[in-house]
Amino acid sequence: MARVEARPLARPPMHSFPSSQARRVRLAIVLAALVVAHVVGWQMAKINIPALIVGLPNMRHIVLGLLQPDAFEPIRDVTKVESELTILPAGSPVPAESGRRTVGTPGGPQATVQPAQVRPGQPVYVQGSGWPAGKKGEVLLAASYGGRPRSAGAFTVAPDGTINHAFYAPASEGAFDLVVQVVTPRFGWRPTETLLLSLRLMVETLFLALMGTSLAIVFTLPLSFLGARNLMGKTRVGRAIYYVTRTVFNLLRSIEVVIIVTIMAVVVGIGSFAGVLAIVVHSIGALGKLYSEAIESIDPGPIEAISATGAHPLQVIRYAVVPQVIPEFLSFTLYRMDINVRMSTIVGLVGGGGIGFILTQYINLLQWNQAGTAIWLIAIAVTAIDYLSAWLREKIV
Amino acid sequence: MHSSPFTLHFEQPVLEVRGLTKIFPGGTRALDDVSVSVPDGQFVVVIGLSGAGKSTFLRCINRLLEPTSGRVILDGEEVTAASLKRLRQIRRQIGMIFQQFNLIKRESVLINVLAGALGSAHLLHSLIGYWPKADVERAMANLERVGIAEKAFQRADTLSGGQQQRVAIARTLMQEPRLLLADEPVASLDPATSHSVMRYVEQINREDGITVICNLHFLSLARRYADRVLAFRAGQLVADLPPEAIDGAKFREIYGEDAVEVEVA
Repeated sequence: MARVEARPLARPPMHSFPSSQARRVRLAIVLAALVVAHVVGWQMAKINIPALIVGLPNMRHIVLGLLQPDAFEPIRDVTKVESELTILPAGSPVPAESGRRTVGTPGGPQATVQPAQVRPGQPVYVQGSGWPAGKKGEVLLAASYGGRPRSAGAFTVAPDGTINHAFYAPASEGAFDLVVQVVTPRFGWRPTETLLLSLRLMVETLFLALMGTSLAIVFTLPLSFLGARNLMGKTRVGRAIYYVTRTVFNLLRSIEVVIIVTIMAVVVGIGSFAGVLAIVVHSIGALGKLYSEAIESIDPGPIEAISATGAHPLQVIRYAVVPQVIPEFLSFTLYRMDINVRMSTIVGLVGGGGIGFILTQYINLLQWNQAGTAIWLIAIAVTAIDYLSAWLREKIV
Repeated sequence: MHSSPFTLHFEQPVLEVRGLTKIFPGGTRALDDVSVSVPDGQFVVVIGLSGAGKSTFLRCINRLLEPTSGRVILDGEEVTAASLKRLRQIRRQIGMIFQQFNLIKRESVLINVLAGALGSAHLLHSLIGYWPKADVERAMANLERVGIAEKAFQRADTLSGGQQQRVAIARTLMQEPRLLLADEPVASLDPATSHSVMRYVEQINREDGITVICNLHFLSLARRYADRVLAFRAGQLVADLPPEAIDGAKFREIYGEDAVEVEVA
């Protein structure tokens, strides 16, 4: 009998020291479960490697757009006049006053288009005076309702500044804008419209993040004290406030900014304000938790010492708590600002304003070079803020 | 020689403690029915092992800890019955210094001293950091008293331990207290610095007539500075005697049979 009793002592209990065989069996079960989970997951997530390989070439637009962002263009002098040309249906009679149309300023560049109404295939004569001598020029036709301009032939301006050009009307009827222009390249580059617009929106985005962060701080600063257990845990009412505050922080933090934007866009309309509000709401939750935890981790000694002088609770916070949490608060705030800059580029995708808004438009219009510009700006701004915030945090703490 | 605990006092005691008991939520009886009466101007040293209830005793006097039962009476007024608002007014009468000094580390020495006047300061003024000239002058004078006026504009955490404790003493001087509670004020300091700090405590006791209740680890310090020694063991007051009455037998009674006394130079 003594042997039976001694046995549990001789052999350590199973759960803390499993035999090597039991361990192997358990490992096999865990591995099998993981394999099953991944097989199911592969199907649930509809993972399709061939689609990736086949579709990869579709990325070339984006890659090309990124490689050639619409950012700078060479500076050029453009001398041009705009006229109109109506191309009638083939076989229709030419109206009596199909005659000529002269546009431009007397003495300056001037052009006469004759006739102003033609049938497809008929010659159109463009003559003019006052153009920069010896330069090359071009006649462009673009459908009046908007469309890509098509070249209707090139010409060279005569030494006396006159032009004399003829082309055959194309076989597409309708109203056309006819542009006569002489483009003279000059040395130098200038930012394109796209770059200027994207820059403006990037700045707007940074301010959106700034306002989102600052407004969040305004609400979070007082709330975080209510969410600190060491300050609130002494009374029953205090503990209740603590739990409510922390729950609110957790709720706000758990909702993604993109979701809040769509809700806020319903409330205040699509635009930057909706984005600001979304960032405020999410940041209150995230910062509130960080601030409260910073308060909870302070040294309680000064609180005791200041309380013992007969100070008011607000004085205790001002003199014993605030000086201790300032470095951490600053650090967390910079960190949040950094996140919010990234967030604010996203909110535009769902109607929150800023550069994300124009980026979605470029992508939807397949304007890859323009999209490339916006993406580059986002990357540069976010990286810069990231470094700046890291550097500042190092300085402060 | 200063008043001995065994002379008769005709005036009422500064501090009257009756049946003070503190039971922590875990059930620990940190203070067990402690009664003591402290006459004006006395330098009382409290000794006992770590965990004997010395710190709890001090913290129950100014209600940094709420006693479970018993009464604390300061100058005839019952501290334990005071409302929170009244308690703040009473606390102005009770200075306190700590083992870890408990200064506001990132603030200047001057601000730390001024913090001692928070109880009487204008609430809004103090919140925005405005201090009347009179308070600032008083703070400088108190720093002068503890011999570190030249450090007034340094950050508190740049000072040595002894200097920080002197700042803490200057802070309590701002309160012009009736009573000073000192919780192991020199336990983090080296022996030489300990004496320098203890001498400042002794000085404000002798010169300002501030009654002192001081927790100490070292018996040698107790013998040197105390008018009266209270010994705690397991939350109970086991001895109340003049310092010269502590002999080997008493010592073992308080600290246990295995204890050996360590001298501080």
